[in-house]
Amino acid sequence: MLKKRLIFTLLYKDGGFCISRNYRLQRVGGVEWLEANYKFSDVAQSIDELVILDVSRGVSDKDLFCSVVSQITQDIFIPLVLGGRIKTVQDVDLLVRNGADKVIINTLISEDQAVIKELVETYGSQCVIASVDYRITDGEMLLYSEQGRKRLDYTVEEYMDLLYDLGIGEVFLNSIDRDGTGQGYTLDIAKRVVAVIRLPVVLAGGAGNKYHFEEGLAIKGVDGVSTASLFNFIGNGLPQAREHLLDKGINMAKW
Amino acid sequence: MEAYLYYNLIMVNSVGIIDYGCGNLRSVFNAFRHIGADCKIVDNPKDLVFFSHLVLPGVGSYRKAMQYLQQHEFDYKIKKIVSDGTPLLGICLGMQLLGSRSSEGGETPGLDLIEADVDLLVCSEEDGHLKIPHVGFNTVHIDTRSRLFNGFGDSADFYFTHSYRMSCKNSLQAIGITSHGEKFASAVEHMNILGTQFHPEKSQQSGLKILSNFIGLKPC
Repeated sequence: MLKKRLIFTLLYKDGGFCISRNYRLQRVGGVEWLEANYKFSDVAQSIDELVILDVSRGVSDKDLFCSVVSQITQDIFIPLVLGGRIKTVQDVDLLVRNGADKVIINTLISEDQAVIKELVETYGSQCVIASVDYRITDGEMLLYSEQGRKRLDYTVEEYMDLLYDLGIGEVFLNSIDRDGTGQGYTLDIAKRVVAVIRLPVVLAGGAGNKYHFEEGLAIKGVDGVSTASLFNFIGNGLPQAREHLLDKGINMAKW
Repeated sequence: MEAYLYYNLIMVNSVGIIDYGCGNLRSVFNAFRHIGADCKIVDNPKDLVFFSHLVLPGVGSYRKAMQYLQQHEFDYKIKKIVSDGTPLLGICLGMQLLGSRSSEGGETPGLDLIEADVDLLVCSEEDGHLKIPHVGFNTVHIDTRSRLFNGFGDSADFYFTHSYRMSCKNSLQAIGITSHGEKFASAVEHMNILGTQFHPEKSQQSGLKILSNFIGLKPC
């Protein structure tokens, strides 16, 4: 039986790493900071996947991004997900050549579905993940692209059907309201989405401690939980969280 | 004379990673380097003889991969070297290529080093929640007599990403079995010919242990 996943997400911007709160970014440090505070090759043994997103605004130096990715990942042996700023098949080709097993897209889905189809054809469904970013306004779940700046004109059900029809392989469900707050995932929304979708779902936005991971993974149909917090799980936080999840009997891989 | 020359050129525990245009080889390369192997990417079939161990990695289409191997004369060179006893490890698509045939992209013959068929994973209606491709960490039930799994218990978790699966004619050659809708061969071993459907280079310490076991194998 496929295992549930604990995922760590790094937000990369112009050569450094950031924390995000409600999609507003604050720079924390460079690769050296990451290594000093996480001993990255050790921490990577507690996670099932590593996501690195280029959230640079304006112009981004893609070669610099790829060289930072290589630096971080050369001694870790887990699936790698890269994303951010993807507009063309060539963008994805560059990421795949730099070690990406999967890529994450959002804005492109509502902008150019022909490219999405080409990506699915070239790299396979398993390679293409959709980030579904949402806010709750007056009790309603509203979808956004462009890093939370542009509201999408789809209902949740319509959008999930679209993703399925496009051949997308997985959904990253990202709460903009909870992002960086440490208040936990929006579990009611997660339940609502997994009920209408036939794709694997990963929860993101809001994890503050190991109990939040547990609550998320306890939902049938949720395949993974992710955190992008550089502070909530600093030091030994991720190894301890994984141990907790295994103790609670959650079906996760053992190494 | 020729054989004598080769004998002197082959480095002990040198791993040749075969580049046949099928996907990114960097993580496989990094993993072998991490465990201390002397490894190189090989894109010319003439160079295959210089290595003590060969790896056939790969993601992508079976048909395209076989066409490339044939057009560049990798296929018979690989078979020749393997018949001389060099250990060969196929990873993911690379393992499937060791089989007799596949139905992916139309009926295609394989390298036929292991008697096995490659077909689409079957998930019945009752398995509605199971998805193809099969992506993620899953359990491999291990034949503990196998050399590739030396030091493992009777099961371990590895990372998979595939839609087609291998089914061996001789079930003893399937040294790892995994279940996703149906049971399939997730690792194979026949003399010096080995394969994993999962990605050791993406499977944490367990994967590195597999690669160490592989480079520890003597030619036979």
